[in-house]
Amino acid sequence: MEGAPPYVIEMLHITKEFPGVRANDDITLQLKHGEIHALLGENGAGKSTLMSVLFGLYKPEAGEIRKDGKTVRINDPNDATALHIGMVHQHFKLIEVFSVLDNIILGAEDTKLGFLQKKDARKKVQALSERYGLKVDLDAKVEDITVGMQQRVEILKMLYRENEVLIFDEPTAVLTPQEIGELMHIMRGLTREGKSILFISHKLNEIMEVADRVTVLRKGKHIGTVHTKETTKTELSRMMVGRPVQMVVDKEPADAGDDVLTVKDVSVPSRLYKRDAVSKVNFSVRAGEILCIAGIDGNGQTELIHALTGLERPSCGHISLCGIDITSASIRQRSLKGMSHIPEDRHKHGLVLDFTLEQNLVLQRYYEPRFRNGIFIRFDEVRSYANALIRQYDVRSGQGPITPVRSMSGGNQQKTIIAREIDRDLPLIVAVQPTRGLDVGAIEYIHGQLVAQRDAGKAILLVSLELDEVMNLSDRILVMYGGEIVGQFDPAQVSTEELGLYMAGAKRQKEEAWRV
Amino acid sequence: MSGKNERNVLRSILASLISILIGMGMGSLVILIVGLCSKNLTLKSTWEGIRLIALGVFSTGRNAAGELTFGFNPASMGNMLFRATPIILTGLSVGIAFKSGLFNIGAAGQYLAGTCATLFIALSIPSKIVPAWLIWLLAFLGGMAAGALWGAIPGMLKAFLNINEVLACIMSNWIAANVVTWLFDISNLKNIVESTKSGYIYKTTFNGIATPKLGLDKLFPGSQVNGGILIAILLAVLMYILISRTTLGYELKACGANRYAARYAGIKDRRNMVLSMAIAGAMAGAAGSLYYLSGNTEFYWSTYQILPAAGFNGIPVALLASNNPIGIIFTGMFMSTLSISGLQLTNLTAYNEYITDVIISVIVYLSAFSLVIRMWLGGRRKKAAQIGKEDE
Repeated sequence: MEGAPPYVIEMLHITKEFPGVRANDDITLQLKHGEIHALLGENGAGKSTLMSVLFGLYKPEAGEIRKDGKTVRINDPNDATALHIGMVHQHFKLIEVFSVLDNIILGAEDTKLGFLQKKDARKKVQALSERYGLKVDLDAKVEDITVGMQQRVEILKMLYRENEVLIFDEPTAVLTPQEIGELMHIMRGLTREGKSILFISHKLNEIMEVADRVTVLRKGKHIGTVHTKETTKTELSRMMVGRPVQMVVDKEPADAGDDVLTVKDVSVPSRLYKRDAVSKVNFSVRAGEILCIAGIDGNGQTELIHALTGLERPSCGHISLCGIDITSASIRQRSLKGMSHIPEDRHKHGLVLDFTLEQNLVLQRYYEPRFRNGIFIRFDEVRSYANALIRQYDVRSGQGPITPVRSMSGGNQQKTIIAREIDRDLPLIVAVQPTRGLDVGAIEYIHGQLVAQRDAGKAILLVSLELDEVMNLSDRILVMYGGEIVGQFDPAQVSTEELGLYMAGAKRQKEEAWRV
Repeated sequence: MSGKNERNVLRSILASLISILIGMGMGSLVILIVGLCSKNLTLKSTWEGIRLIALGVFSTGRNAAGELTFGFNPASMGNMLFRATPIILTGLSVGIAFKSGLFNIGAAGQYLAGTCATLFIALSIPSKIVPAWLIWLLAFLGGMAAGALWGAIPGMLKAFLNINEVLACIMSNWIAANVVTWLFDISNLKNIVESTKSGYIYKTTFNGIATPKLGLDKLFPGSQVNGGILIAILLAVLMYILISRTTLGYELKACGANRYAARYAGIKDRRNMVLSMAIAGAMAGAAGSLYYLSGNTEFYWSTYQILPAAGFNGIPVALLASNNPIGIIFTGMFMSTLSISGLQLTNLTAYNEYITDVIISVIVYLSAFSLVIRMWLGGRRKKAAQIGKEDE
């Protein structure tokens, strides 16, 4: 490549404005041949906008894009494809009922007289898969393969189209620790073969491990581009957030009290299959501790939490809260008896998106005497209560209490739920993936709130897929695999690798070892 | 917690007005085309037709010179209010169900159920023994109850068996049509006194029952108007208060906007679904009830092949008003204004009554447009909001 310009893609002084917002303000990003370049920034920092500009989805007000040193115009995604730029989206764009091979060639099919030439395509895909070490089963249907393999299919899709610039949008969000390691390995292999990679992420560990250089964005501005070898995680997070960030949650050892929630032999039927999604689970959560249920998505955590919170009925077993049996209690009864719930899916369960902020803040207590006068809602009380919560929990929104929640950022939507649930001041808080999809600043805040609640003597049941969060926050860890609890750990005495083995089902403790 | 902010309300009103204007424009276009294609119609009469479509309710006929005259026409105005009564109520029926996320296309069946109960009560209880006002009250409440019951059935099917309420409503419409026909067929309420007519049920005035005029006949002499319109407005205000001021309204809206979040918050979503459909049914029942309690309308009992149009007209009325009960009062009146315009068109020009139906249906069709226009009006702002939460 001698004599070739050093950069494969250059985005120079890109400015993109939306009414009232400057989403990209004079941003320069230069991607070298064969490098892994990370793009780091909080939610709303402008990463997606910048990538949309590169893909021709948005037209920038100012700035130019160069490919191999030559200025190019990218007016729509087809132009980007023609320039061999490809993207692996965070949420895979695969057709579940198609085979892996069909998914890979979809949209770029070779045909002869209108007939598909699948044999040639198969050979080409096989060659690619061997060359880059991307193991896939070409004939399996996408719905039957693991998330990790689906991601490899996405990567193969890009390679099949002979893309030279590969963009990975938050690729590790859905993977297990083992799969993440594998992905890092694949990414390095790709650059060795001459591909250039843009890696969008807000996970500092991964960036430090795999990227050569990092460009940091904050509030639409270019903060800096640094070599990972010459920086630290603390420095990066400071650049990203704009202030020093507490990387590790600061907390005293737990002072656990009595059992608040006791779960005995609970099984929950699966909605999809003719087996139990959760089988014979036993544990208890004590006052003043954070008990974390770790595990890979889809191992029964969701069903277990639904059974505990009343969204589903367990097929057998008993659940008691503060000594009262709530196995068949209604959701409202559980709530009245002391359970608050930060749900897994904030858009499906946690919020009524078309309601205003204040309407959402009283979703769990609108019926309390304080907020009503007979059958009428006391709007003045609702307003003052909402204003108090907004102040106390620093929920930011365009129009204060009357902002439609749909228009708020993900972090502030989650803060709305956290404020609502914590402020009820109940003995048990069930928090399911409370920081999913949030940026460092918001995560720090939510972790701080949960620890404060623990210190105030609340029992906290946390379900998390993020190992960092599990290790950081919990006082006790239970690992769930295949609908069962396969081990109990003290976070101070277990490594993430060890937890990963339990999460993947490779190891399990004898039940007597931990059963209370 | 007033729900929508003022800008949204303004935008809704603006969107409805725009779609009404487009509808009127399309109607005028139809008139123009028909006028140009017909030998009987001159350009002048075409222009008259267009004017009547816009201002029919103010038409006072023709003067000595044969020119159209306009002004306050109490009979048209009163008839407009009379005709508005049932469609305001079926509009409320559709609107309330929409608020809780259900599409009540069964207002026609609920209307028939209400009609049937009302007529049986009003004509079967002898007014010689029971005071007429009490019979009237019983007949009205009975009509509402019958409508509520008929509406609750698809509500229950949806809540407990997850059967699509649209399908259940359509079925329940035809079941109502047939059951009502059968009930009247075996009854002794068929009008055999006026032998020129067949297939009609006695007017309620045969038993001395009629909605009091409440002085409206003095205000609008020569029209059919009665106190029913005031009852419809009162019910609309009550529905508005229910939806926007009470905890029940909050629950219904939560169920409508996000059933899962409502359930998560411990709201009984199934019960609310049934309740919402029952309230919707009661409104449609009241529509049928008030229409026939007027005493000057007669029910054609052989309904098994035709569903009452009032049931379906509730849909555009609710859509045009974005399901706001107060807005429904006005859109209901607008719809009945159109039908008065149609009458005037038939009376005063060579256009026949069918052309007016075409025009009304064009406007009805375009009422669905108000949603699109509202989205378009809100489009720019929404896009900006989208940017605010990018990276998600």
